[in-house]
Amino acid sequence: MSLIECVNLTREYRKGENIIRPLDGLDLEIEAGDFLALMGPSGSGKTTLLNLIAGIDSPTSGSLVIGGVDISSLSKRRLAAWRSENIGYVFQLYNLVPVLTAFENVELPLLLQKLSTKERRARVGEALEMVGIADRHNHYPRQLSGGQEQRVAIARAIVTDPAILVADEPTGDLDKPSAKSVMLLLQRLNADLNKTIIMVTHDPHTTEFAKHTLHLEKGRLLEQAGVAESGVGEGAGR
Amino acid sequence: MRQLPFEYAYRNLGRSRVRLIASLTGSALVVLLVLASAGFVRGMQLTLTQHEGIHENVIILGTGSEEALERSQIDASVETIMAASVPGLKKEAGVIYASPEINMALPVRESAESDADLPAVMRGVRPVALLVHSAVEIVEGRAPNPGEDELMVGALAHAALGVPPDRLALGRTLHFDNRDWTISGRFRAPNTVMDAEIWLPLTDLQIATKREASLSSVVLTLDTAGFADVDLIAKSRLDLEITAMREAEYYRSIAAFYRPIRIMIIVTASLIALGGLLGGLNTMYASFAARVREVGMLQALGYTRSAIVLNLSEESLFAAACGALIGATIGILMLDGLSLRFSMGAFALTLDAPVVLVGFLGGLSVGVVGAIPPAIRCLRLPIPEALKSH
Ligand SMILES: Nc1ncnc2c1ncn2[C@@H]1O[C@H](COP(=O)(O)OP(=O)(O)OP(=O)(O)O)[C@@H](O)[C@H]1O
Ligand SMILES: [Mg+2]
Repeated sequence: MSLIECVNLTREYRKGENIIRPLDGLDLEIEAGDFLALMGPSGSGKTTLLNLIAGIDSPTSGSLVIGGVDISSLSKRRLAAWRSENIGYVFQLYNLVPVLTAFENVELPLLLQKLSTKERRARVGEALEMVGIADRHNHYPRQLSGGQEQRVAIARAIVTDPAILVADEPTGDLDKPSAKSVMLLLQRLNADLNKTIIMVTHDPHTTEFAKHTLHLEKGRLLEQAGVAESGVGEGAGR
Repeated sequence: MRQLPFEYAYRNLGRSRVRLIASLTGSALVVLLVLASAGFVRGMQLTLTQHEGIHENVIILGTGSEEALERSQIDASVETIMAASVPGLKKEAGVIYASPEINMALPVRESAESDADLPAVMRGVRPVALLVHSAVEIVEGRAPNPGEDELMVGALAHAALGVPPDRLALGRTLHFDNRDWTISGRFRAPNTVMDAEIWLPLTDLQIATKREASLSSVVLTLDTAGFADVDLIAKSRLDLEITAMREAEYYRSIAAFYRPIRIMIIVTASLIALGGLLGGLNTMYASFAARVREVGMLQALGYTRSAIVLNLSEESLFAAACGALIGATIGILMLDGLSLRFSMGAFALTLDAPVVLVGFLGGLSVGVVGAIPPAIRCLRLPIPEALKSH
C-alpha cells in the first residue's frame, strides 16, 4: 500500500451559480520515501492538492488515505492533531513569526507535544544543526537572509519528525544560489531521513532534485501516477 | 488543548509601538474615568448616607421643609418641649441629647475689603451638638466660645468656600455680619455633609441672622425611645408645626434628589468608556488583521483556534492590565480625596477598594472585549485562504 492514496479526489468551490473545481477526480499514489515535484500552470490545482494532503483543507468528494488513515473523515480537532504529528509544511513565504527567534520558531510545533524542556531543546538544536543554521539560533527572522529564513522554516517543518514534508514553491522567493542550497537540503532530508516530500514548483531546475515530477492541468494529472520519471537528482545519497 | 506560550503574546505587543501606546492609554483612560465617576458617586453616596450614629438620630424640623433644613423654621421652645416630653432620649452626665441647631447657607467674605461672596454652609450649635453628632471630632484647637466672634471649620469647608486649605488655618478670620470671626478650631466628620460645614455658637448665629426666637431643627439621639414615640409627640403638637424625621432618612431623600446627577455621570462615563472600547477594538482589528497569514500558519502547525484566540486575548489583556495599573496609580494619587463642591457643601472623591476594583476591572474588560471579536474575525478564514493573505 502506498503512503498517500488519492482516489477520485475532488475539491469544489461554489461561487453562486458557478462551480469551480480546482481538483477534478484526481487519482494519485505516492510511495513512502518519494520526492515528488508537482508542476503545472497557475490555477491548475497544485496548492489545492498540497493543502489536502497536508490536512489543512478537506476534499469535496473522493478519498484521501495517508498512512492508512482516511483523513477526509477526521474532525477538525483530530485533523489538527494529525497534521501536527504527520506533516511538515514549508511555505513559499517562510511564514516565520517575526517576534520569535530562529530557535523559538522551530520550537513552536514541539510545544504541541508532551516533551520535557530538555528534550525539546535538544530536538530544536538537532533540527537547526540539520539545516545548517545552528549558529543563528538567536537571530530574529528580520536578521536572516531569505535563504536562511527558509532553512529555519524547514527546520520547523522537520522538528516533529513527520513522515511527510509538503513544500509549496519553497524556492519561489529565493535567488538561484539560495534556491539550490535549499533544494540540496530537501534532497538530503529525503535521502538521509527518508522524508516523503511533495513539492510544488514552477522552476524546472528544481525538479532535477526530485525523484519524480508530475504535471497537473485543470485539476487532473497529465500522466498516470508513478509513470513519468524525470530523473533522480545527483548527490542524493550521502 | 495545547497553549501558545505567553511569551509570544507578550512579545507581539512590541510589534507596534503606536498600538502599544494606544492600548495602554486607552485602558488607563478608561480606568481613570471609571475611578473618577465611581469615586464621585461613592463619595457623594457615603456623604449622604453613612453618618456614624445617624441611625439613632431623629431630626425635628418644620412641617413642609422636609427637603431642606435650610428652609425650616421652628420655634426655639421646641428644644425644651421635646427634651421634656420624649422619654428615653439618650442622656449622659445630666446632659440630654437634644441639639438645637440652625442650618443655613450664608455668604461670607475673606475680609471686610473683599467683595467676593463665598458660599458657606453654617451650623449654629450648642456644645451638645458634639455629642449628638458622634462623627464630629475636633482635631485642632477648640470649640468656639459664644460671644467672642469665633467659629470652627470642617475639614472640607475650604472646598465649599473655594479657598485653599491653609486659608482656614487656626487663627485666620472670615468676615460676615460686619465683623471678623476667628477660627478657633478645626474638626473632621469624614464622609458626612458636616465635614464641609462651618460651626459657630447657636446664639451667635441667631443674632447674626436676626432670628433669635427660631431654630432650624432639633436633633435628638434616641436611647430607649423609638422613632414612633417621637413621631407621635411631634404629630400631637399641632401648634408647633413640626415633623419628626429619621436623620438617615433625611439624607437618603437628599441622596435621592441627586440621583439624576449620579445617573448622568455614570451614563456619561459609560459612553466615554464605550468610545474607548471601540477605539481599542479598532486598533486590535488592525493589529490582528496584519497577522492573518501568521495565524493561518499556526493553525497549519496544529494549533487550535481556541488556543490562538486565547493567546491573542492574553496579549490584549496584558496590555490592558498594564494600562489599568497606570490608570489606577494615577487615579489614586490624583483623585482620591479630591474635594468637590456641591450645594450641600462639599464632599471628597472616594477611591476605596470597591471603587478601585471596579475601575481596574473596567480597564481589563477593555482588553478582553477589545480582543475577542477581532481575534475571532482573524480566525474566520479557512486555513488555505489565510495562508494566501498578505
Ligand atoms: N477559496 C477559493 N475559492 C474559490 N476558488 C478558489 C479558492 N482557492 C483556490 N481557488 C481556485 O482554484 C484554482 C486552483 O487554485 P490553486 O491555488 O490550487 O492553483 P495553483 O496551481 O497552486 O496555482 P499557482 O501556481 O498560481 O499557485 C484556481 O482557479 C483558484 O482560483
Ligand atoms: Mg499555488
